[in-house]
Amino acid sequence: MTEGMVSEWFIADGDEVKQGELLYALETEKINLDVDADASGIVRHSIETGVNLAPGDVVGYIYEPGEVIPETLQAIPASAAEPAADLPQGIAVSSRMPVTAATEPSGRLKSSPAARRLAGELGIDFTVLAGTGPGGRIVEADVVLASSRTESVKASPLARRLAEQRGIDLSTVVGSGPGGRIVQADLDGIKKQSVAKVAAVQATAGQVIPLKGMRKTIAQRMHQSLQESAQLSMDMLASMGDAVNMRTQLLKEWQGEARPTYTDFVVKAAAKALLVHPQMNSVFAPTGITLVESINIGIAVAVEEGLMVPVVRNADKLTLKDIAIETARLASGARDGTLNLDDYAGGTFTLSALGMFGVDSFTPIINQPQSGILGINRIFDGLTWDQDKPVKTKQMNLSLTWDHRVIDGAPAAEFLATVVELLSEPYRLLV
Amino acid sequence: MNEFDIMVIGGGPGGYAAAIRASQLGLTVALAEREALGGTCLNWGCIPTKSLLHSAELLRNISHAGQLGISVGEVHFDLAAMVNESRSAANQLSQGVQHLMKKNKVTVFTGEAVIKSPGLVQIDEQEILADNIIVATGASARSLGNIQPDGNRIWGAREAMTPGFLPGKLLIVGAGAIGVEFASFYATLSTEVTLLEVASQILPVEDAEIAELAMAAFRQQGIEILTSCSLENLQADEQVVRASIGGEIREFDAVILSVGVKANLSGSGIDKLGVKLLDGFIEVDDVQRTNLPGIFAIGDVTGGPCLAHKATHEAMIVAEEIAGLKTHPVQKSRVPGCTYSHPQIASIGLKESDLKDRPYKVGRFPLYANGKAVVTQQTEGLVKTLFDADSGELLGAHLIGDGVTELIHGFALAIGHEATEESLIQTIFPHPTLSEAMHESVLNAFGRTLHL
Repeated sequence: MTEGMVSEWFIADGDEVKQGELLYALETEKINLDVDADASGIVRHSIETGVNLAPGDVVGYIYEPGEVIPETLQAIPASAAEPAADLPQGIAVSSRMPVTAATEPSGRLKSSPAARRLAGELGIDFTVLAGTGPGGRIVEADVVLASSRTESVKASPLARRLAEQRGIDLSTVVGSGPGGRIVQADLDGIKKQSVAKVAAVQATAGQVIPLKGMRKTIAQRMHQSLQESAQLSMDMLASMGDAVNMRTQLLKEWQGEARPTYTDFVVKAAAKALLVHPQMNSVFAPTGITLVESINIGIAVAVEEGLMVPVVRNADKLTLKDIAIETARLASGARDGTLNLDDYAGGTFTLSALGMFGVDSFTPIINQPQSGILGINRIFDGLTWDQDKPVKTKQMNLSLTWDHRVIDGAPAAEFLATVVELLSEPYRLLV
Repeated sequence: MNEFDIMVIGGGPGGYAAAIRASQLGLTVALAEREALGGTCLNWGCIPTKSLLHSAELLRNISHAGQLGISVGEVHFDLAAMVNESRSAANQLSQGVQHLMKKNKVTVFTGEAVIKSPGLVQIDEQEILADNIIVATGASARSLGNIQPDGNRIWGAREAMTPGFLPGKLLIVGAGAIGVEFASFYATLSTEVTLLEVASQILPVEDAEIAELAMAAFRQQGIEILTSCSLENLQADEQVVRASIGGEIREFDAVILSVGVKANLSGSGIDKLGVKLLDGFIEVDDVQRTNLPGIFAIGDVTGGPCLAHKATHEAMIVAEEIAGLKTHPVQKSRVPGCTYSHPQIASIGLKESDLKDRPYKVGRFPLYANGKAVVTQQTEGLVKTLFDADSGELLGAHLIGDGVTELIHGFALAIGHEATEESLIQTIFPHPTLSEAMHESVLNAFGRTLHL
């Protein structure tokens, strides 16, 4: 890490702390950590909350009982702040920026009155919806679509209410009830999550959002990535009919054990494709391009303050079911802040999904020092041609950004074609 | 040698249902029954007693017909004919089970099946191989110390439902569902009934408020009820039963012992194979597996609540588990219970006394405020509902009144689906029915009653 700050002292200056008790909250550019006291004694703060710190800075002291506590603290290089010093690298962010759908320069959302009324009735935050009307205007159909997405999670009325009360995102919960329904018991033990509301960063005009913590990291890293590498993007259309059917069947088959998402399908497909196209699984440095042996796929997860990219390790060696279980753990862990630093480290390729917002194409930004990032878009009813007859079929656009310093267009397209082929023949993802 | 995927031991509502479900799932199934198909429930429990209670109900209604403008002459009843009718109902249903076994290609063995080892069962001289054995041997009445039913004046449930005479004075020991139902039946036939219960309330598994209302109703019908009171001694001769209660010797024409049940373990020989027990019943896991390989157990032999519908539900679980389907364990708090006395009692879920340490809401709606109850003159009763105050979860429902045993499934469905008060309030209940009292009780819990 390069900097951090104490965002909260849990033990007041001069109060007593017991070993293992929560002492302070450390907010770094990548992660927020609650730090426990290493010893028991009287706590003296050296710095106040909100002061920027470098690794190794002393945040305070714990005095043993009976020890003379100096009136003025001396600047002794101590180890109290060490937990911060060894934060691993590898946490980064993709281009998944807060969406402010169809915002006009004035900041006003374009939306139809009917859409606003329906959104109000259904309790849907329409400001996070992607508008499909003229000029990106949010229309009633967009709200209906959003509500059907929420409803498509099977859960008992009680589970729905408890999830709402406890702030749990039901789409991250595995249901154990009849037909894979989420029941009360499935929510036990799940802590309050900060539901991924992109709207959390909505600001009123004139307000200044301080550039700190995760926001600052995102700003720095995204800008740095675009400045330092030669990024370009391309889209390719995948036929998803079989994947949609297979997912429906797998939801039944793995009922109570795992809930595969389309992102899980893409994790598996990308991992298989990276095995065949190892240059996409590489790290660029001025000295040379290192092909990385293990395939660790990061997944951008929106959290209240921004986004986190937990990593599915050795994704090529995991079955689709294992991936589904692991991504569910990572997604909910990222939201409620229970993941380890290890869960964020070592990514070699990243996925970023915006399909749930109705996005059909975007240009994700590479998570440095990786060489590629794949954007997952909306699944929609597309057309293919059977002889000269149009046939309705499920399709999804995939948006690949890659680093031209590492890979040229042709091999990048070959990689993307492999992913697309695997998704259109999804039974190959089961082997 | 015969070989099956599943050998079911016991043809009661657990065993025969497991056989049918397993057969539906394409497994080969055999079932052994030493007496009559249908088990205790069908032959010596639920069914014949409901027949007797239905006779009693009709008798009571006919006696009160004058209030509804129907004049009847003097009303007579024939106890022997009532009993015959109850036996023929039991026989008819037992034959129905036989037909079901045939229809579902279940091989039925008549005789005592003994498990020699996991996978091997012996019935008389025949040995049968089965990968899976389901023990569904049920339970039978417990005796009270050394006091045993003698078939003469000391009766168990079997004797009580096939009485040779109508006792003028009857003592019933144990005021659980069975004792209370017999009390109700005999009291309607003008027997002087004394109901003895060692616990502090009758129907000890029911909500205290409901039990209190039941007790008041029974007392009004002339039933003597003694709670927190035990039978100290019992002696019977050809003429009379002498019972020592609270230091006093009292005389009765007959006594019914209904003091609970014990698991039937010895017949199947499972007790000799080292099966793990819990409080005298076979211990099973979420999918009804015992500690012995390939041996499952369902129903009363695995412990309470000893109810046919619990056994049948466990039967589905065990058959589906063996067939490799995903199953969901029985949640005992979601098993409804019914007592078919007059008034009837039906309940599901937690009692009010279970809720001491959590915030809850209680709804009450008396049947006297329900239109249908008024026209049928069955206004005695209450629908009580309990909700979690924070989540609105329906935690329990406790009903008393005639007809409530046909209402409780509504709450069972709601609890099973984890309905909150919102779903119940949004449901439209038909008018005029007793079920509106269910709706009103929910409304009452949330301060929205319409008809009070």
